[in-house]
Amino acid sequence: MKWVALMVVAATALGLAVVLGPAHVPWSELPRSDIVRSLRLPRAILAFLVGGALGLSGASLQALVRNPLADPYLLGLSGGAGLGAVLAIATHLAGPWALPLAAFAGALLAMALVYRLGLVGGGGGQLDPRVLILAGVAVGAFASAITTAIVSLAEATALRNAFLWLWGGLSGASWDAVLVACVYFPVPVVVLLAAARPLDALALGEEPARHLGTDVEPLKRRVYLAASLLTAAAVAVSGVIGFVGLVVPHAMRALWGHRHRPLLPAAFLGGGTLLTLSDTLARTAVAPRELPVGIVTALVGVPVFALLLRKWTAS
Amino acid sequence: MRLRAHRTHLAGLLALAVAACVRGGRAPEARGISVTDDAGRRVALAAPARRVVSLSPAVTELLFALGAGDQVVGRTTWCDYPPAARAVPSVGDGLNPNVEAVAARHPDLVVLYQSQLNETAARQLERIGLAAAVVRQDRLEDVGRAAQLLGALTGRRAAGDSLAREIERLARGPALQPPPMARVAIVVWDSPPMVIGAGSYLDELTRLAGAANVFHDLASASASVSLETIAARHPDVIVVLADTGSALPGFASRPEWQVIPAVRARRFAVLAGSLFGRPSPRAAEAVAELRRSLEAVR
Amino acid sequence: MDRELSPLLDVRGVSYRYPGTTTEALSDVSLAVRGGRLTALLGPNGSGKTTLVRVALGLLAPRAGVSEILGRPAAGWARRELARVVGVVTQQEENLFPQRVRETVTLGRYPHLSLWGRERPEDHAAVTRALERCDVLPLAHRWMWTLSGGEYQRVRLARALAQEPKLLVLDEPTASLDLRHEMELFELTRALVDRTGLAALVITHHVNLAARFADDVVLLSEGRLAARGTPADVLTRETVERVFAWPVAIEPFDGRPQMIPLRRGKETV
Repeated sequence: MKWVALMVVAATALGLAVVLGPAHVPWSELPRSDIVRSLRLPRAILAFLVGGALGLSGASLQALVRNPLADPYLLGLSGGAGLGAVLAIATHLAGPWALPLAAFAGALLAMALVYRLGLVGGGGGQLDPRVLILAGVAVGAFASAITTAIVSLAEATALRNAFLWLWGGLSGASWDAVLVACVYFPVPVVVLLAAARPLDALALGEEPARHLGTDVEPLKRRVYLAASLLTAAAVAVSGVIGFVGLVVPHAMRALWGHRHRPLLPAAFLGGGTLLTLSDTLARTAVAPRELPVGIVTALVGVPVFALLLRKWTAS
Repeated sequence: MRLRAHRTHLAGLLALAVAACVRGGRAPEARGISVTDDAGRRVALAAPARRVVSLSPAVTELLFALGAGDQVVGRTTWCDYPPAARAVPSVGDGLNPNVEAVAARHPDLVVLYQSQLNETAARQLERIGLAAAVVRQDRLEDVGRAAQLLGALTGRRAAGDSLAREIERLARGPALQPPPMARVAIVVWDSPPMVIGAGSYLDELTRLAGAANVFHDLASASASVSLETIAARHPDVIVVLADTGSALPGFASRPEWQVIPAVRARRFAVLAGSLFGRPSPRAAEAVAELRRSLEAVR
Repeated sequence: MDRELSPLLDVRGVSYRYPGTTTEALSDVSLAVRGGRLTALLGPNGSGKTTLVRVALGLLAPRAGVSEILGRPAAGWARRELARVVGVVTQQEENLFPQRVRETVTLGRYPHLSLWGRERPEDHAAVTRALERCDVLPLAHRWMWTLSGGEYQRVRLARALAQEPKLLVLDEPTASLDLRHEMELFELTRALVDRTGLAALVITHHVNLAARFADDVVLLSEGRLAARGTPADVLTRETVERVFAWPVAIEPFDGRPQMIPLRRGKETV
């Protein structure tokens, strides 16, 4: 059964992430090793949670904006997070959680701005998905421009460090971070999973969906907020890790079809697996050096995406 | 035909370069000064430079150390040593410089830090008739060579050669005995974790101070590594650079960094950014300071 | 007999203006749909037919007047509740993702399913019944994009039936269909009304088919009610010529009035 296979692959990915690494830890010492317990284990779990969040929000947003080529970062969140992070670096903000919190705040600001721009029509307004995409691209570009301006005025080292952070990395993983994720993620995840059936109806169009009993406006707002919150948290914790939110939903659709009840959980598991495997690769491919994981997901994701595109256009 | 002309041209340059190196130490020719900079470019001046714009903090420091501080008429915003340098007007950034701002200082020599972008800037400056010299400032040996080059260009050959000899003595001299805490990792960034490798000036200082950089096997100046790699190599001390104060770095309290015993035990050596951040004529002082910091760690 | 007395859908004197426009889309329009009867909503393009249905079902709030469904104001119905009572086949829908016939008809059961619950045996049975009634059961495993125009519309009708509604609303269901499929759809709708006591409201601009199949006709013109009643009452030469701005002749066929448009410059006897 497909689900069993997916669970097995996910478990294998987690296992590899714990067992493999640039530091050599012999088998016998694995359970007692400080490196495994304090670094690899929380990092593997966090990679799975972040990857899952990206996969799930990607699939949901593709349904929301009615575009199978949408990506969680289309809505300006990565631009906002990057700006927040770079501001934190440039102003030498103190504190161990300064960078993630600043990135999160930046992402939330971008989300609020895009939401406000996406509301069209009088009296509170309706969320128009096409306007959402355009607003997201505009806000993202604006934030990126400011980020680049700040970075170009900063010293050379700060410049490079800011870009390295933006490319994504799970080096900040700790049990604290895992705890925060476990407290923060469940609500948006549950909201999105519960929206599976309404999203099926929404695929027919807004009016037909209404006639099938879907409260379309509240649904759009819920899905937008939940998916954005998940993405904002993911970026805050691990920088901008691209392609997971775009490619994983498509790969899962090829296996599970378009019904969101199986698709959304599959996207979560698939995203988690992809990111965990990519992170393991990032840590071990050029050991002792480490690649930014965003590069690995792009290097793996782009060929997979090209293949899927060919199949999609051929059918 | 053209290739042969090129080769003749190159041979000519080479001869000039050799001659220039050999000529060091003697009085300047009546015909003017001609040297080859670190980018292989020929820099020719009719007379020693009277108005120099320095586009690199290391170069600014070097010029003042050579006694040519009065000849410096422009510096970058980042040039902060010696304190007298701050009185010199700033012309903006050193990397990808503002050519107009530089020209506004009416220099007869502009000195740039070697990089791709700056080689283009050097050509731009020459097009508007300003002599430009590109200097590499990445390692200890670069300081000595730059001292001689700048000494020749500013009419301070004697000071330049003397400084070069000092640096050579330091570099070739015996390393100090290892301090009690001899294994170090020099961490320059925390997210992602970045450490100094063999290609960096800091690695050289570490060796001279009698300590061992656990990441000496990395050829580059700096590299991003996993936390577990740092932990696995068991450094005794974590060395960090700071601009002000000697407070512990931000990552010292982060939970995932506690896997590294040196972090857990708070064995940090905090070094002043201005002294250690770039190759400088105060290298000997830097080595001594580094040694003192390492010995002070409990 | 009770159903004959109280209408399922009762729209009284509604007026509506789209925001940003100066003319009224609807002005003092009334409409009543009863169980076991097929009501046709006719009128030229832009006369306000789709707007009237949107106001009737509570999607738009009228400036004046009221719309009641089963005695309750339309605005007071939760969407899920309403979807269990009214099944709507809209003019157009998009299919963002490819679907099979059975899958799309199952969407019609959504108003009956709980948030997390799976489809139950009674849901599968309702879907099968709907497919049977619309004569598309043999197509159950086909992809939607492989169907002909007529089959496609019948599947959409089946989805509305799967909601097990009391009122069926069809908005221009035969717009792009050829003669055979058009007749089949109208016959199917008529049969459903007769056999199951469903109420049906069909928006169409096929005046003649409406006259043949409908029990009641509502004729709109420029947002106003032009006429209302049985086909014979409504489709008089004078009324039709006024509303459609074209000379016609009305001839009876099979007990129903049929409209025959005349050619310009020629009078017929």
